[in-house]
This record gives sequence, C-alpha cells and structure tokens, in this order.
Amino acid sequence: MAKSKSSVGRRGFLKNAAGAAAGAAALVKAPLAEGQTQGTPARSNGTGAAPAPTEAQLFREAGNIRPPVEVRKITRAASDVMVQTLKELGIEYAAANPGSSFEGFQESVINYGNPPNVMPEWITALHEESAVTMAHGYAKAEGKPMLAALHGTIGIQHAAMSIYQAYYDRVPVLMVAGNDVDFIPAHTAHDMAGMVRSYTKWDAQPNTPEEALAAIQRAYNEAITPPMGPTLVVLTSEVQKANVPNLQIPSYRPPQMPTIDASTAREIAHGLLAAENPRIAVGRLRTPEGVKRSVELAELVGASTSTEAMRGPMSFPQRHPLCGPGADTNYDYTLGLETGGAQVAINGPGLAKVAEERDVTHIDFAGVKTPSNFGRGAGVKSAMPVTADAEASLPLIIEEVKRQATPDQKTRIQQRSAKHARANHDAHVAALEAAVERAKDGWNGSPISTARVYAELWPLIMHEDWCFASPCNFSGAHNVQLWEHNKPYSYLGGQGAGGMGYGAPASMGAGLAAKSRNRIVINIQTDGDLNYAPGVLWTAVHHKLPVLTIMHNNRAWHQEYMFVQYMAGVRGRGAERATIGNVLRDPFIDYAKMAAGYGMAGEGPISDPTKLSAALRRGMATVKRGEPYMIDVITEPR
Amino acid sequence: MKNAIVYWILAPALMMALPLALSAQPGARGGVGDKPAPTSPVTGHAATGKALYYSYGCYACHGYNGETGYRAFVGNWGHLANEQVFITFLRERANVAPVIPSDRMPNFSDKVMSDRQAKDIYAYIRTFKSSAPPLKDIPTLNAIVESAKQEKN
Repeated sequence: MAKSKSSVGRRGFLKNAAGAAAGAAALVKAPLAEGQTQGTPARSNGTGAAPAPTEAQLFREAGNIRPPVEVRKITRAASDVMVQTLKELGIEYAAANPGSSFEGFQESVINYGNPPNVMPEWITALHEESAVTMAHGYAKAEGKPMLAALHGTIGIQHAAMSIYQAYYDRVPVLMVAGNDVDFIPAHTAHDMAGMVRSYTKWDAQPNTPEEALAAIQRAYNEAITPPMGPTLVVLTSEVQKANVPNLQIPSYRPPQMPTIDASTAREIAHGLLAAENPRIAVGRLRTPEGVKRSVELAELVGASTSTEAMRGPMSFPQRHPLCGPGADTNYDYTLGLETGGAQVAINGPGLAKVAEERDVTHIDFAGVKTPSNFGRGAGVKSAMPVTADAEASLPLIIEEVKRQATPDQKTRIQQRSAKHARANHDAHVAALEAAVERAKDGWNGSPISTARVYAELWPLIMHEDWCFASPCNFSGAHNVQLWEHNKPYSYLGGQGAGGMGYGAPASMGAGLAAKSRNRIVINIQTDGDLNYAPGVLWTAVHHKLPVLTIMHNNRAWHQEYMFVQYMAGVRGRGAERATIGNVLRDPFIDYAKMAAGYGMAGEGPISDPTKLSAALRRGMATVKRGEPYMIDVITEPR
Repeated sequence: MKNAIVYWILAPALMMALPLALSAQPGARGGVGDKPAPTSPVTGHAATGKALYYSYGCYACHGYNGETGYRAFVGNWGHLANEQVFITFLRERANVAPVIPSDRMPNFSDKVMSDRQAKDIYAYIRTFKSSAPPLKDIPTLNAIVESAKQEKN
C-alpha cells in the first residue's frame, strides 16, 4: 500500500519537463492558503490532523481556476490500456459521479476505443452509494460484475454502506478509486482502501501502470471467485495519466474455482442414480450457467428439486416440472447445491476466512462466520458437507451421471420425472388457489392492499422477460406465491445487510443489465428507502433504463413504527407518540412530482384500487418502450 | 447482566435473521379466515374509536380497514369476541422489554388507554367488513389460477 515512487510520477515529470514548460503558456497562479508556498500542497497544520482543502484547491475542483499548464506528449495513456483491460474482461458499465481524482480514467472510458464509451459505458450516478448499489443490482441480475468508480477518500466513504451491503450479500462488484496525491490532501490517504478493507474482499494500490493492469485483472478474479465480494483498486492520478507507449496487457487467466474431486463426483452420481426418490435442493448459484447445469442434472436423474428462486437470484426455475415436493416426499438421497440440510451438500467457501484476514476494524462479522451460506441453510447440518463451488462442480457430476446411468435407470428416471411433473403441477395450482384466497383480502379497500398491487401486476408481466429487482420483504412478498420465478434473475432478493437506500439503485443496476437484453425491470419501491438517494431516478431517465417503479407508499418506516409501538407498550407509555421519527407525513411526499423533477414520466398518488390496473398498463407501455416510469401508489402498511 | 451477554451473543445472528424475519411472507399473516363477526353488545362510540384507532397506530399491523397487515381482523376476530375479552387482551400483553425489536401486539395498560377508549376502539373495529368481492368476481385473481392450470406439466 506504499505510495507510488513511479518514475512516471507527476513530480518527476514536472522536473524533467521544467525546461519545456518554461516556454509554455503563462501559468495561472492559484491563490495560496495562509502559510503555503507556491507548488507546495498544504499537507499539515502541525497538529497531526490533515488540513482542510484550501480555497484555491476547492476553486480548482469547482472549475473556477485553471491548474498549471503541463506540457507532455501522451502517445498512449495508461488509463486507455486500463479501459482496454476492462473491455477484455467484458465489463459493460462503469457507474460514477464525477471526481477530479479519476479524470484520466474517466476521459479514457468516454473517449478511448471505437466506438468510444462502450464496454464499459460510463453511467452517470448522483451518489457513490448509488453507483455501487447499481453495480450490486447488476451483478445479481447477470452473475458478473460491472465497475463503480469512486472519488478519493470522500467517494469511498460515500460508497461505504453499499460496499458493506454487497460484501454481506456476497456479490461481485469491481471498484476503482481515484487518488490524486498532489491535489487536495483531504481527498487522499496513504492507505485509502483501508477505510473499507474490513468489508472488501481484496484491494490494491498499484505503483505502476503495469501493476495497475494486473491489479484490475486480479480484482476481477477475486470478485467472481467464491466467496464472491466487492474488490477495490486504488489508481493514483500518476498511474492513470502515465504515457505507456509499449505497455502490454498481461495474458488473462480466469480463476480456478474450487470443485469437488473426481471420486466425490462419482459417489454423488451413484447416489443420485441408485436412489428410488432422489432430491436436489438448489440454493443460490453464482451465474446463469450454474442454473442451467442444475436443471440439466435434475433432468438427467429425474430428481424433484427445491428452489430459492423466490428468495433471490440464480436458483432453480420455480415452475420447472421437477421443481416442487414431487410425487413422493420420502426422499432417499438428497443433494444440496449451495444450501444446507442435505445428505450431501456442496457449499462454496464462506466469508469467514476472508473476514478474519481483512477485518481491520474488528467488526467481527458474526453473520459471515456461519458454517454454510448465511441466510441460506445456515446452522442446518448436512450429513456430508463438502466445501467446493457447486456450480463449478456440476459438470463433474453431470459427466459421471452420464457415464454411470444404465438403460434401466434411464427408463425409471423417465417414469419418475413424469410423476413428479404431474404432482408438482397439482401442488402449484393448489398453493395458488390458497394464495388468491388470501390476496383478495382488502381487494377493494383504500389505501390499496399490497396483495392487489402484486396481483394486478402479474398478468401484465407474466409473458414478458422480467426481473423483479427490489426487495419484497416490506411490501408483503406476494410475488412468492402469486408469481412464477423461472429465470436466474426473476427475483434479486434482499438488500444484503438490511441497509436502506437499496431498492431504486439496485433496480437501476438491473435495468442496466436489462437494457440491451429486451428485458424489463420491476421495482416495488418502499418510500423510506427511496429517500436515501433519489437522484438515481435521474440516472434511470438519462440512460433510458426500462424500470417500472411502483411506490409502496405507506408513508412511514413502518417496521420501526411497530417496534416503537411495542416498546412504548412495554414501558406503559402508550403508542400515540410512536409516530415521532417514524412516519412520513406533514407533509406527505409526492413521488410522482419527485419523479417528474428528475424527468421521469409517472403518475399518482393513486389510492383508488380501481385505478391501479390502468396505471400499471400505462407504466408497462412506457417501460416496454425502454423508458422508466413511476406510479405512486398509496398502500396499506403491509 | 445475563441478558446483556445473551444479547451480544445473539444479536449478530439475529441481525442477520432480521430481514428474513421481517419478510412478511404471506403465509405468516394471521388474519385470513372466514369467521363471522361477533354479535356481542357494543357500548362504545365508533366515531371516537376511529380517531383513536389512528392515533394509537392500530392500522400499522391491522390495516386501515382491518383487512390486511400482520393480523387482519375481518374473518378472524380472535380476541374481539366481546368488549371485555378485548380489554383483557390489551392489558395482558407482554410488559418485558424484548431482546430484539418486536412488532407484536403492544401492551395497553389502563394508564394509557382507559376502558372507555378501549370500548370506543372496539366499536370502530366492529364496523369493519370485508371489501373483497367473492373470488369468482375478481377476474384478475381467477386468471392467475387459470393460467397456472393451463401450463403444461
């Protein structure tokens, strides 16, 4: 983490270029801070604390004065080669709000390449928290990272909660942070990544352009290798702006995923084939490819399956004929893929070791030290737990099944699969019949019931390629029983660490993924959550993201309202004042106007349930044209 | 002290579980049912009770119309058989601070809610009726089921 001593450093360059600069255009002198001499950045106030930015520095950052003119010929900028590296890694987007510390990098993204500003495309965020959460949502939808760029110490701190959340959610996010060591002292640090090291999986501050390319490749690999997580490369201005006429991109080597060994694959294949009624429990895999392979395995062995597709991305298709309890619930062999509680459970390595090594602020991360996937089977013991990446192990098992399966077994599997399909179909219809009975409660009530919002929306999206990107936990989770989650990205799950300010930016990140894939995104947006960083609505408009936002506007942080009510009851003080700090009224927030302010089409507030369906249709029509839309719906609390 | 230790042991795990616990899965709701409303005498004033229903925040868990939320009233009247059952229920709720935040029914002692007020609220709750038409008259919901039935198995 030492600061750069690179020969291409700005100071070194200036020294070498002094002669040339002498004849260059006159420098515009910046006003000096008290006690500061020309050319000497204010470094210390003698108290050990970093000085505040000088007026001159802030003027420059605000664009009010010009920096000294530097004269050097750049034939090939290092940041151009960094962008080429990102292209070769398949990074589609780079989200950021601007910052002077990565001006070199940003300029390369928007101008380098033919066509420029493609792969990655620069996405204008209005807050670093939004930028990282967009990357979070994108990664959950696509199973691969996009980039977020952060501006110095201040940008990293703005992004910190989002990084924390992605870490807890084990989602790959690739980040770069600009570090302009000679500019504003308050925006730089010797070990900038240290501020978020406890909840990033890997970080580096390369000293040279060569190191920077290797660091970007390594950061990508670390992010996508289980346990997945956010990674950060700090790029100094010097490294970004260096002239590198002969720099070659290192040959990229994809990461080695930890897999089961051949004998374990043989045993599992044998277990699945020999069983009369095998079962496969599918948790959250890494990528859509893993989902495809889990389907292939289930079909090969005729196993009924369970899924977590209603709880998060990358799980087994909910309405696949084999998904459900099956014709017989007495399973004699169960295989778990990234989930616990099975006879043999293959789970990727947990975050415990990573957290132990990197928890510099001693957060302790009790949650990530659970023996299996936290929140997904944590604490449920498996008879034979295997630490390996299930997705990477699936081809080995599939190969073994194909090799071992006898004609008799294949016939039996075919018959069993047909029985499962019928039973699962019947079970699904029965569950749905019960669900609609519940969904009709409060059907014509006002405010509008959350169940009606989900129920009215489903017929409009069921034949579309859709992604439900915001958490459903505070709006009744009616999708769980009313909708069918058949794609790896059908539902992207919860926030990760329960942090608010997630729904909209995660949905816009999913919108980035959807944009070029003829997909639409649904964001059932809680009101409290949107108000953290609503500027992301502008980003959606600016970049034409196909996201339908439906406000679950209950005009409160309702969960907390109930908590305080209970506490007041315990203390015998009544519940009348539990609204204080927990409700969003006096005045009510007009979300359609908020959206309009950001240029987003929308309507509302709607509290008459008979007007909901037409509004949803208008919203869908707009989103299918590739533009975002917001409908403000006044809803029941839950 | 023991509670504090338990808290620090449990808190991280509970914090992890919280988003899931709060996920309000439809199956976790308590109000679904088709039981008829009580017919016991009502002595309170529903209009006064309506104001109290809002000011005490009853709607937070029971919905603005008693039909939705964590514990709907309509169709599942539970502790609402008569005024006295309701009042007793209010007074007997837990009065020990929970280790983790709770969204269960709060305690309402007679110091913060008089019997008169409780009866007024009860009177208002008794005005609640289902706003839902019969299922057969809700095309949206029927279409969802029909669509699933027609899927190939």
